[in-house]
Amino acid sequence: MSSKPEPTPPQLADAPLLRAEGVSIQFGGLKALTDFDLSIHKGDLQGLIGPNGAGKTTAFNVLTGVYKPSQGEVRVVGRRVNKLKPHQINHLGLARTFQNIRLFRALTALDNVKVACRAEAFSDAAAHELAVGAMPIGQLGALAAIVANWRTLLLVGWWKSLLLTPRFQAEERRITQEAEHLLEVMGLSHRRDEEARNLPYGEQRRLEIARALGTKPKVLLLDEPAAGMNTREKADLMVLIRKLRDDFSLGILVIEHDMKLVMGICEKITVLDHGEMIARGAPEQVRSDRKVIEAYLGDSYLETHGGAA
Amino acid sequence: MLRGVLPVLVALPVVILFEQLLAAAPFATYLLSIMGVNIILAVSLNIVNGMTGQFSIGHAGFMAVGAYVAGVLSLALKEVALSFLPVAVSDQVFLLVALLLGGVVSAVCGFVVGLPSLRLRGDYLAIVTLGFGEIIRVVVQNTDAFGRALGLSGIPQTAGLGMVGFWVFLVVLVARRLAGSSHGRSLWAIREDEVAAEAMGVDTTGYKVRAFVISAFFAGIAGGLFAHFVPIINPGSFTFVKSMEVVVMVVLGGLGSTTGAIIAAMFLTLLPEALRSAFTVMGAEGSLAQKVDQIRMPVYGLMLVALMLLRPQGLFGTREIWEVLPRWLPRRRKGLA
Repeated sequence: MSSKPEPTPPQLADAPLLRAEGVSIQFGGLKALTDFDLSIHKGDLQGLIGPNGAGKTTAFNVLTGVYKPSQGEVRVVGRRVNKLKPHQINHLGLARTFQNIRLFRALTALDNVKVACRAEAFSDAAAHELAVGAMPIGQLGALAAIVANWRTLLLVGWWKSLLLTPRFQAEERRITQEAEHLLEVMGLSHRRDEEARNLPYGEQRRLEIARALGTKPKVLLLDEPAAGMNTREKADLMVLIRKLRDDFSLGILVIEHDMKLVMGICEKITVLDHGEMIARGAPEQVRSDRKVIEAYLGDSYLETHGGAA
Repeated sequence: MLRGVLPVLVALPVVILFEQLLAAAPFATYLLSIMGVNIILAVSLNIVNGMTGQFSIGHAGFMAVGAYVAGVLSLALKEVALSFLPVAVSDQVFLLVALLLGGVVSAVCGFVVGLPSLRLRGDYLAIVTLGFGEIIRVVVQNTDAFGRALGLSGIPQTAGLGMVGFWVFLVVLVARRLAGSSHGRSLWAIREDEVAAEAMGVDTTGYKVRAFVISAFFAGIAGGLFAHFVPIINPGSFTFVKSMEVVVMVVLGGLGSTTGAIIAAMFLTLLPEALRSAFTVMGAEGSLAQKVDQIRMPVYGLMLVALMLLRPQGLFGTREIWEVLPRWLPRRRKGLA
């Protein structure tokens, strides 16, 4: 099925930042996602659409490690991440937002972003974790699990914050500056010290994006970023998403129900229905695809109006 | 570097001075020591239950581990002294060693208990810690080395108010510094939304276990201190009731508020004493201690019910006293400004 003319040894510079190959996921008897392929390169702006329950968010969850794929593999910057935990995948450069906003509600806007900015400071610890974390702990004995987690027992990484070392203080200052910068980029500077739960809906969505950017991602996954926004806010968001892609040189994948927005900004769109990919291509191509129209409007529509394309 | 240890250097002479001043008042010393132990317990439990949002209800178990490990070590080293130091100083050195050992063993227990249960989301920790507390108590009750149900007596009474105060200071310092650091923010994030925290690169399991290890360490220290100023420790001191008492302190003070935990711990330590005085005034006969103990739990229960109805977030919520007080006293604040 996947007979794409891609070079077998992927050049490092040209390798996709995010790549899914034949990913399937099954919950009991329900096939939530079947044979899902996707690759995102630097500078890509792709869309993922489909009717409700088509498996879009499931696809996001598989890519970010919330679910483990039953089949197939996911690669982030060329690394197989099937067995990694979400935070490890995030360290590799994949960040996301959530369909139902999941901010740290009681924290201030600034602290929300600061939580994310923290990640880079511990990249060395994270690298170690990757080596250990890739091992399936369940197969090791209890003792081995304890040995493997010795860094946790010794509170590695925490001592400097308890001792307030100069390096730690410098790091905290850097994190604050970074977070403030991101708030500025997302136009939220005026909300700096406000609790996240008190922000208006549109700003909460933007804060989620700011927070995702705090982890310094290479690929950004946006799950319905425009949901609940009015037309004007949507238009602003379109401009903003493009700007983010260019300024932060990201690859972006957007799930969105608003066709105008998706068709307006995405260069390539993947359409899912019942967990299966039914179309992929440029917006015009997808719009006139027979299967897509059928999925959205039903086959009776095609019968009465005559098949398009 | 100086800023890191300066508070400790300042605190040391203060607590020592305090101990000397109260040397003539043994009951006050005893009460303040109990209060100190309760503060350590409440503040350390607050790191897990308040800041990280996990629910541990076996703090007395970790306290027992610290108490018995430190107690047994001190009993074994009772006759030994460092010849190049004055006796009093040598005693304190041994006490410190015993405390640290108790704390470390307790921390390791916390690690072993926390690693499997904190990998999961939800209430597993509560059940596992409840079981842990009971297991420890039953093990102690059936081990000769720990004196079985009779308990350990004759542990050198070397923990003065100075030592207790020092550890109170240390646990508060650790809790506050943690809360203000990037690690603390990650703990808050886990409390708010674990899925989102994980997606933002927070190693949620690792962080929860670390918080739990710190918490267990200080519970062990509190137990060790306790063992060194009460005449006898027995399994009855470390029951589920004790665990709940600490949980009540944390909830009362506001989940996540260090100062709230401190004030609640003080209040709940003094409450039985107040009840005792009340009984004496009323001229109650018979075993006073028993009466106080009987009335204490209903009072706790009523207090919790009242709290949940009137102020469900606890005394200070997730904030600290200096963030809340100005709002309660707006007029005075204006006058000052």
